Amino acid sequence: MALTITEENLRKLVDRLVKDGARVVGPKVAGEMTVYEPLTSGAELAPGTLPRRSAKEAFFPLSETILSFQKGKEGLKVEDVDTNAFPRTVLLGALPCDAAAPQVMDAVFSWDYKDEFYLERRRRTVIVGLSCTSADDSCFCTLVGLAPTDTMGSDLFLTPLAGGGYSCQVVSDRGKEFLAGYPELFAEAATVTPVPPAEPEGTPVDLAKVKLWLEEHFEDEIWEEVADRCVGCGACAFLCPACHCFDIVDEGTEQSGSRRKNWDACAFSKFTNHASGHNPRDVQNKRYRNRFMHKFKYYDDKFGKTLCTGCGRCIRYCPVGIDIKGILEEIGKKALSTKDTKGHEENHHG
Amino acid sequence: MNNSTEKAEQAVTIDISGYDVATAEIRSEAKRLLTEKIVDAVVGYQAGRRKGSAVPVIITDPAQAEKLLFSPACVNNLSIYLTKAKKEIRAKGKLAVVAKGCDLRALAGLVGESQFKREEVVIIGVSCAGVHRAGIQPGEPLTNSTIAKKCRECSVHIPDEADLVVGKLPPLPDLPPKEKELMEKLDAMTPALRWEFWKEQFTRCIRCLACRQVCPFCYCEQCLCDRGRPQAVDTSPRPSGNMGWHIVRAMHLAGRCAGCAECERVCPMDIPLNLLNRKMAEELKELYHYEAGMKPVEKGPLTSYDEKDDQSFIK
Amino acid sequence: MKHDFEPKIVAFVCTWCTYAGADLAGTSRMIYPSNVRVVKFPCTGRIDPVFILKAFQKGADGILVSGCHPGDCHYMAGNFHARRRFAVFRKLLEFIGVDLNRLEFSWVSAAEGGKWVEIVTDLTQKIRKMGPLTQFTDLADEEQWSGALSNPELKAVYDQV
Repeated sequence: MALTITEENLRKLVDRLVKDGARVVGPKVAGEMTVYEPLTSGAELAPGTLPRRSAKEAFFPLSETILSFQKGKEGLKVEDVDTNAFPRTVLLGALPCDAAAPQVMDAVFSWDYKDEFYLERRRRTVIVGLSCTSADDSCFCTLVGLAPTDTMGSDLFLTPLAGGGYSCQVVSDRGKEFLAGYPELFAEAATVTPVPPAEPEGTPVDLAKVKLWLEEHFEDEIWEEVADRCVGCGACAFLCPACHCFDIVDEGTEQSGSRRKNWDACAFSKFTNHASGHNPRDVQNKRYRNRFMHKFKYYDDKFGKTLCTGCGRCIRYCPVGIDIKGILEEIGKKALSTKDTKGHEENHHG
Repeated sequence: MNNSTEKAEQAVTIDISGYDVATAEIRSEAKRLLTEKIVDAVVGYQAGRRKGSAVPVIITDPAQAEKLLFSPACVNNLSIYLTKAKKEIRAKGKLAVVAKGCDLRALAGLVGESQFKREEVVIIGVSCAGVHRAGIQPGEPLTNSTIAKKCRECSVHIPDEADLVVGKLPPLPDLPPKEKELMEKLDAMTPALRWEFWKEQFTRCIRCLACRQVCPFCYCEQCLCDRGRPQAVDTSPRPSGNMGWHIVRAMHLAGRCAGCAECERVCPMDIPLNLLNRKMAEELKELYHYEAGMKPVEKGPLTSYDEKDDQSFIK
Repeated sequence: MKHDFEPKIVAFVCTWCTYAGADLAGTSRMIYPSNVRVVKFPCTGRIDPVFILKAFQKGADGILVSGCHPGDCHYMAGNFHARRRFAVFRKLLEFIGVDLNRLEFSWVSAAEGGKWVEIVTDLTQKIRKMGPLTQFTDLADEEQWSGALSNPELKAVYDQV
């Protein structure tokens, strides 16, 4: 027996949730592109296409106030953000590469410092993933240990069915709880025929070996080769579902203003610029190397996970065609001859 | 003419047979330049992993010349790699660069701004019938629906001022301009409506700064908009700071922009940034008869003046 | 006289001519609206368009830029350069959708205290009639894109973009 929901009921679900005061974030058409945005009705839901920007914004917005200050007669008044006021959220229709990313980022946001802004939003969010049925030549989830049908990160997971509608898989307790609120929208079916998932093409790589290779090739001509062309914008990091660097700035006047947390990108030359003027990553290819190393080595060193879900956005929108999938494949090939002496585990997302 | 723009355009395929000729000539020229040590590196295009794609490449070995190519996917303006900001690339020595007509205008502008001396760079010009617009899957044929907006109004298909022009220009179809029409629509709007338009556009900006980073003229070591004290423009990607950023950028490029429209192409949020640059160019032409050209000029319209300049707006 | 709305006007002036002109108006005990806040620069050539933008963003309802008459610049050509820069900047602001009535330019020499009074008075009256400028300050309260097209009239244009 499989749990199913019709397309119509899925849209009804959005309407119900919106009516109940929840923030429903899902893919929505805006002009020529699709973006994850809070939906105002079920009619706006446009499932199935990979949105231009990733779903990380549901937890880690582009820019958010973390405190505000005001100078008055009684001196300086600092006001914190009430994280309890964050809305109950449902992230609906996130493709596996987007749905998996928060689970990867949880590690860094709850490590030495607990980022309450991120974590509180995570606590209040139910993720409804969606099996992926269209892949292009930039997709590579299968190379980083995920799959178009991967339920990682999802609480509920939808799979499009051949005759329309979706089957719904309960992945977590949170998903089960959520489902209990809307039983009438779901049905049971004896058998279902899913739309075949889209397997991206690519040469499989051994991420453990890639990591070992990276350990030994911090200095290597490959970085110049692939990244001398890098122009140093933040398009890759800003579209990435897993990049999580941010900058904190104060904005306003001496009288009043706010402290904000904004996305940052390691490709910016300012990212590592010291107050002295010295910049340890003095040329662009070193900055790109950091991006790659962070995704496939440093993050694994620290948290045992790969910081990339293979969505391919950075490939599609890189102004100069830097191709992380191609680089990964190339390093994967070189790494085959590297011996795995440390016995890393296969599944790096696990 | 007016009627034809109302109707949907008929499919027109653009003949790019000349690009194969260009590819062969770029390869042999690059090989010669590197072998004879006339230059130390060639900045050109090579195939990317994605079928039909092309990416910028900097080669130093004559054997690598065989990798170079020209195709409708060669959208980048490679002149950015020649500015003083690109220390690591200039460190390679004397450079040659592959340039389309639109790119050559930027190169001329950079010479005018002393980024490099004309005689220090070998320019391999390409006869160009047009390249893809943003968001086109590489490998698609070049048609009136996949061609970049700027190519519809191109006046420099053959970059005569280059050291060598490669390729062959086929007869080109007459494509009606798109950007010009859009511009006219915006000009006809009330200021309040135009504000709404730009507000919507800029609000979408995520401040990835791709527009700045691909701009040949945004070579400043210290961008005014990165500065904290004093802070000219709020750095948060929010409507207020975004509006400031795009106004400042347009102003700083006025009289310098060569119209390559790379800023618009690379914008991951599809903001039509070239409209701003185009507006500035139109105004500078009307006010001071200045147009970005193929030959370097020592002073741009905003670094020079005429005592008789119009001052009807000043009391 | 009391008005419902007292506009905030920022005047960016050069120290050699307009500032001295304004000073002359003061020492001559001429009366003009106190709505104007004068910011002194060495030359109109030093007045960056960013300052104008920033003033609008921080709540100015109108802006005046004023310096030496052509030929009188203390640094020979600062005002000639400024003239071009502002001619273009005006056009940019107009294209973005700012009402140019809120931005005034003038040449006021050190001897023209009367002209200063006249310009400031006229500008103040004009801006008072126009009411507060909120387009820039409203933006400060807005967050990221909603993806919603607020204006149906713009839809056709968007489709073309």
